[in-house]
Amino acid sequence: MKNLLVTICYLFLLFSSKNSFSNEEHTSHDSHSHETHNHEVFADGSKIKLNSQRFNNFIKDSFQLQIAIINVKGMVCEFCARGIEKTFFKDPNVKKIDVDLSSGKVLIAYKLGVKINFNEIRDNILSNGLEATSMEIVEI
Amino acid sequence: MGIRILFIFIIFFSANILARPISYSGGSTAMIFSNNLNNSIYYHFSPTYKYSLGLEAIKDKYFEDSYSYFRFTYLINRKNTQSSQRNLYFQSGINPNDFESMFYGIHGDWETRRIFLGFNVKRIENKNQNYSDNSFKVGFAPYLGDYGDIHTWMMLKTKKNSITNQYSTYPFLRFFKGNTLFEFGYNNKTNWDVHLVHRI
Repeated sequence: MKNLLVTICYLFLLFSSKNSFSNEEHTSHDSHSHETHNHEVFADGSKIKLNSQRFNNFIKDSFQLQIAIINVKGMVCEFCARGIEKTFFKDPNVKKIDVDLSSGKVLIAYKLGVKINFNEIRDNILSNGLEATSMEIVEI
Repeated sequence: MGIRILFIFIIFFSANILARPISYSGGSTAMIFSNNLNNSIYYHFSPTYKYSLGLEAIKDKYFEDSYSYFRFTYLINRKNTQSSQRNLYFQSGINPNDFESMFYGIHGDWETRRIFLGFNVKRIENKNQNYSDNSFKVGFAPYLGDYGDIHTWMMLKTKKNSITNQYSTYPFLRFFKGNTLFEFGYNNKTNWDVHLVHRI
């Protein structure tokens, strides 16, 4: 009986996973549409792979902020990335954080005028066992 | 050649996969675990992401005994890439009331957002009997959840201990959302494996 329950549970997840795969394909298609490019171009001409729609949602209703977009290696599961939020929210200058697992990016919104130090950010990411490799800053 | 054989041996003859045995620096984790051999409650604190110190209270179902361990887990090696993470941990515990009662072993995992491989090799020494408890898990995520979603992993677990000396292989499901992880599996020989983890 218990085996049967486990099997039913598995079958249910398999079927629900098919739907999730289709949703994922759809999202992926959207992200490559003309409306939602996956690259943001900065003033200096550099490019960072970023989901524009996600970025726009993050900065929605926000003003007078600077956004640090950090590329992080090893951020493959939410459970291991949870500490990032806790670590950065200890800094009173941090207003918002977004963790984008799909692109391996962390977006941190700081008050305008605060000096953002990549070495400090790298150390904070490392304290979570992850590796920050690069950073771009956007002012809004 | 010898190292390769040892690696393959570890991969295929390995115990309880403790999801994230070390937390972020300054973080702590509480776990409840139950299988055919033990029920346990475990709390650990991580001064840095490299190691954790903890206390585990165990009810040993097989030998009908109760004891505790001071535990130390050390991250031997971690490799982060853009799409994966690989970890190798040393794990150990000693009974504060009986220094001859202890365990030690190696725990490793490699995962992407879609695939998970993990093993655990553990040697337990106590007044009742010395034995090894090993397991291996392989899993995949049927969908890729975003940050804040419920994440699901469908896994297959194989375990063997030197007391019963029998393999048991069974499906295992892992769910996590936010700071809480829950996983369970069932086998008709070894019954339930249940594991609840909460990061504080």
